[in-house]
Amino acid sequence: MKSTPIAVGFGILAVVFLVVAALYAVGILQLFASTSTGPHIKHAILFVVLAVASLIAANFTRPKTV
Amino acid sequence: MGLLQGATELFPVSSLGHAVLIPSLLHWTFKQSDPSFVPFLVLLHLGTAGALLIIYRSQWVDIIKGFFTAAFRGGIETPAERLAMLLMVGTIPAAILGVFFETRIKSLFASPYVAAGFLIVNGVLMLGFEQLRRRAERRAALDSKPRIEQEEGFAEAERISFRAAALVGACQALAFLPGISRSGVTIGGGLMAGLRHQEAARFSFLLATPVILAAGVLEVPQLFASGVPVGEYVASALLAGAAAFVSARFLLRYFRSGRLDPYGVYCIAAGLISLGLLALKL
Repeated sequence: MKSTPIAVGFGILAVVFLVVAALYAVGILQLFASTSTGPHIKHAILFVVLAVASLIAANFTRPKTV
Repeated sequence: MGLLQGATELFPVSSLGHAVLIPSLLHWTFKQSDPSFVPFLVLLHLGTAGALLIIYRSQWVDIIKGFFTAAFRGGIETPAERLAMLLMVGTIPAAILGVFFETRIKSLFASPYVAAGFLIVNGVLMLGFEQLRRRAERRAALDSKPRIEQEEGFAEAERISFRAAALVGACQALAFLPGISRSGVTIGGGLMAGLRHQEAARFSFLLATPVILAAGVLEVPQLFASGVPVGEYVASALLAGAAAFVSARFLLRYFRSGRLDPYGVYCIAAGLISLGLLALKL
């Protein structure tokens, strides 16, 4: 399934995940967190991992030039 | 506790369920609602993860190399690269569910009744997985053949589909419930995906390692901050690792021809007996 739009979609998703990770890390985002104040490092790490996975998916779906 | 956790972690009988139940039944002085209880269990799990890393050390070297090679190339060329990507896909569902539902799941740890109940559910699941597997064997006309030949009719871990790897990974999240076995549900998931018993066990053990390590890295600092006897806890983790090493060796040999049935029966019996003992307050 090689397609530039899909690869770009995964790239955008990676950026979104990184932004969410940053918001959790600085304590702005409190969604689904155990406490309603302070930074949430576990959530931040999870979204960094998801961003990396999205970048890998983008690289897999990117059409390759031979 | 270390020996108990290490011995039960890799067997499909729920180490977490036993870690909640046994202290209650034997009146040990562990407080399961204590903030150091979950980090302590995670430290024991780290011992188990260490044992798995030792057993699969050469495979992990190939998997890590394969992961980076495939990620940068943007394609899969070798079985090790495929396995690395399968493990990544399988780990993500458990990581998402673990992070978002951690607090609610922790609140269940305090009840041995819940653990005993889920242990029975775990036993029923194990028997169910084997019933479905026997049906698959009949469909493939393997039911009249010897067990080793039956097993050869199914696939190796590297052949599992990415969708199936994600489903097996999601099954792994069920193991956050005390009484549901991580290895049990992931081996069962692997069987449903068409893997041999031994390969399902290998995939389950490989899948468990990153989640356990990540949980350890995140939880252990809480343990060191909570003023508990760290030396004793580390000794327990070493015992857990030794017991897990022996258990893994045994299980990989057992699953060449063995099935999940005995563990299913054990879980149902242990759950029912535990519920009875707890109800009678013995």
